[in-house]
Amino acid sequence: MRDGLLVLGLIIGGFFLIILQEFIPPLAFLSGARLNLIPIVFCFGALLVPFPWMLVLTVGLGLMVDLATVQVVGDSAEIALGWSVIFYLLIGLICQGLRPLVLRGHWELYILMSALTSILYPALQFAMITLRRMEEGGLYYSDVVTWRILGPGMVTLFLAPIFWFAVTLSIGPLLRMRDREV
Amino acid sequence: MKKVNIILAILVATIGIGLMLLLSGGAIRNAQSGFLSWLAPFLKGGAAVQQGIGAMGQGLKTLDQLEADNRRLTTENMELRASNQILRDMEIENNRLRAAMDFRERSMFRLVAARVTTRDASTWWNTIKINRGFEDGVEAESTVITDVGIVGKTTTVSKNEAIVILITDENCKIGAYVEGSREKGIVSGVRVQNAQEPELQMNFLSKNANLQPGQKIYSQGVGAVFPSGLLVGTVKSFRQRELDGQAILTPAVDFSTLSDSFVIVGEK
Repeated sequence: MRDGLLVLGLIIGGFFLIILQEFIPPLAFLSGARLNLIPIVFCFGALLVPFPWMLVLTVGLGLMVDLATVQVVGDSAEIALGWSVIFYLLIGLICQGLRPLVLRGHWELYILMSALTSILYPALQFAMITLRRMEEGGLYYSDVVTWRILGPGMVTLFLAPIFWFAVTLSIGPLLRMRDREV
Repeated sequence: MKKVNIILAILVATIGIGLMLLLSGGAIRNAQSGFLSWLAPFLKGGAAVQQGIGAMGQGLKTLDQLEADNRRLTTENMELRASNQILRDMEIENNRLRAAMDFRERSMFRLVAARVTTRDASTWWNTIKINRGFEDGVEAESTVITDVGIVGKTTTVSKNEAIVILITDENCKIGAYVEGSREKGIVSGVRVQNAQEPELQMNFLSKNANLQPGQKIYSQGVGAVFPSGLLVGTVKSFRQRELDGQAILTPAVDFSTLSDSFVIVGEK
């Protein structure tokens, strides 16, 4: 029940973060990188809740992210709906492996996982776009691409600790982290 | 947690993901349209707040300007300058709206005026969202323009919102011709744009086209989306390649300040 409420809260929070992201302009000092707040929410949940609830969180957040960003051109989507679910599922599986350590107090792993997810997401997206457009546009790479991939991770390194402490200090007793089954 | 529950959760998730991956473009568009309808009230509210904040920022900037004026011209008092500034802002707004109305009147197309609610929401795609949807007659693959040129085309359309893929995106392709010549080519965006100075590329020109900077490029009207004769951009540079010529263009529309646009919903 407690985990279900946490996951529900994170999915609703994710919905509002997607809306918030729409209004945050690209970060000019990072060559136009976009802020990605979903990994911060997702990794928090995936490191705390048991496996079935992690699956629910993955499907909920992944589907919303896809619906908000999928590009349908002509008759097909450039990246299929559901790829974010698979991506977050893989990240979630790693998080589940690290869960016992996080529950024992290694919260720094949460920061690292959030940053890693923030970097991998645009990197894989770019790789898929490149493969998809290979025939027409060929390969493309520049410094701007590097910054747009690394930028969100760098910002996440600052935002994730704030989120962690804000949530654990405010509703920490409700989460009962120390009593959780490892 | 029981093992049965875990296996059940894995099964449900696998089937769900499998179904999602198999969805056709049309089904994805419908799903996205539904999700966009959920987002729409929040996007509208957010856009209004953002506009308010922007206007406040403008006001502060104007006060700075007024302060500078105050130092230079000591004869006028602050109140008079503030009221003058408000009148000036209203005049600019008035002129902008009059130009837009005028454009709508003289256009040969049936146009629906639209306001940009959000822009550039993703890293690799150049899109904006506008506050018009199928309730206003907007359909998928409708051309979006301003009084100076082409903005892009709609992709997913919900009840009151639509996603517009900009011409600066590599996926938005326009058959186009060069003003005053027989040269034709395909205009598209480049994969990763510099937000400050977006560029377009015009490919498949003849090798000896030798386009000059400043030459205008218009839509050719091939395909079902973009009508003929709309300004796409101007030539910035031209280079010969092994098999063809390529021109780099500056888009006609300034996307950094784009706030109002028109969706072509038919002909008059």
